[in-house]
Amino acid sequence: MRAHWKTVALMGLGLLASSCKGVDWTRVAQKAGTVVNDSASATKERASCEKLDVEPTVTEEYAIGSAMAIHWVQGAGGLMTPTDGAKGTGVHDVHEYLNVVGKNLGAQSSRPTLEWTFGVLNDDENFNAVSTPGAYVFVTRKLLSQLDNEGQLAGVLAHEIAHVVLKHSIKQYNAAKVSLCKTAVTMEAGFPGSGQLIASTDSGGNLDLDGDSALLGDLTEKVIELAESGNDKEQEYAADQLAARMMISAGYDPNAYLVLLRKTTDSSSLGSRHPKKADREKRLVTFLEGLKPAQGQFAELSLEGLRSPPLKPELVAALKSTSRGGVAKDGK
Amino acid sequence: MTMRTRAAWVALMLALGFPSLASAVAVGGSLYVKAKNTRVMESPSPTANAVVILQPGEQVKWEGADAKNKQWHKVKTATGKKGFVFQSNLSTTAPDMELVVEDKGKRKVNPAGFVASGAAVKALSPGAVEYGNKKGGNHKQAVAQLQNLEKKAKGVSTADIAKHVTQAGLFPVVGAEATAKSGASKGRSKGGT
Repeated sequence: MRAHWKTVALMGLGLLASSCKGVDWTRVAQKAGTVVNDSASATKERASCEKLDVEPTVTEEYAIGSAMAIHWVQGAGGLMTPTDGAKGTGVHDVHEYLNVVGKNLGAQSSRPTLEWTFGVLNDDENFNAVSTPGAYVFVTRKLLSQLDNEGQLAGVLAHEIAHVVLKHSIKQYNAAKVSLCKTAVTMEAGFPGSGQLIASTDSGGNLDLDGDSALLGDLTEKVIELAESGNDKEQEYAADQLAARMMISAGYDPNAYLVLLRKTTDSSSLGSRHPKKADREKRLVTFLEGLKPAQGQFAELSLEGLRSPPLKPELVAALKSTSRGGVAKDGK
Repeated sequence: MTMRTRAAWVALMLALGFPSLASAVAVGGSLYVKAKNTRVMESPSPTANAVVILQPGEQVKWEGADAKNKQWHKVKTATGKKGFVFQSNLSTTAPDMELVVEDKGKRKVNPAGFVASGAAVKALSPGAVEYGNKKGGNHKQAVAQLQNLEKKAKGVSTADIAKHVTQAGLFPVVGAEATAKSGASKGRSKGGT
């Protein structure tokens, strides 16, 4: 998953993640009957787990991204449903507009061949956005309801696209692989999927997650656990800058992004890893001021002709609707 | 993370996130096509006729910005065709073509083939569907909702994007069509209108 439209992000993330039952690895180890294999060979095996820290295949990225998308949608109470209040698993037509805006940005990103998918989480309490590897991006109803124009919407989506392009949550996925592998080699009985995990240290480090949904589930919950700590400051700054670049590329005024930043709140629950919004704004302003082409060289970006078009009235009207549906949250 | 892996990550981040740091290109140098359905126009205008339509990863020779419309750039394609391309469609660094190469990038393929190849087609992965359905309850419903969302997302075409961009007054970057229509000189290119 990746997360986030920063800021309230962590807060939102925590809530989203709360409905997910994370894996208690201590319990898993005890259940599997064992732990503590401190032999020299086990130490060597634990070291070999670092070989899993490799660039995932696209198939692997899609698998972990898909499973994380399921997690986020379930945890948020589903996607925004049709306004007619129909039961079932349909999704609201505003998703078409969201995907027009998002796919336009994705097509101009550094990963133009990904099939980007954008959704509205049926969450009207948390100002939040999340993304997953393999190009799923979600924003909450609450966040959408506080946007003033399409430029700000583009800013949110571009920030999440940037996290995917920069593969920030792939780093968390790789960390999860290594961590689970180290747990596996200390257990005599192992756990579902641990065999493939350990074997992959000798075969390039990539995993067939589609062939092992148990391992995929374990990894997903571990990645979510890591994601709850949020992105570090440098990742957020990088996502801000790349988002601004994508906005300018598409013709959006990046000042809309600065206004959006001010809408977020600094929360102590975000922890020290998250930058304060004032720092983000300051860095972004400096970055934008530095976007001056060198004489005689090709400039990728131009600040001429940028604008912040209005949001489509259909989206604004749909968000005012009180009709909500979707996937009920677990009562557990 | 090993030192080698870390170095690879840094290189990737630089290439993906900060293309301007990667290289500077002067007139006569090569630029990469960045966006889908990039139109090379007969004149520096979004409503001009498209000479040819290029795809991400293809290279062109940069011949400088147009004197009057500085956001339009003169280029020469690999096949020798000349025309004008909007600024945002070009980049000094290559985009990631992960879905149009096979064997983990060991084999190069023609970037223009990606539109028709189906390589970019994605669906909720089979393993993830199994994972969600096995968990049952709300997870199973989330799987079904996501599958419906994907249908809606796939239904959004480059023509839809181009139409919205025109209505909203944004930059004409993503073209409506993947190929230039024959006899384009007699009509306006659909994506730029």
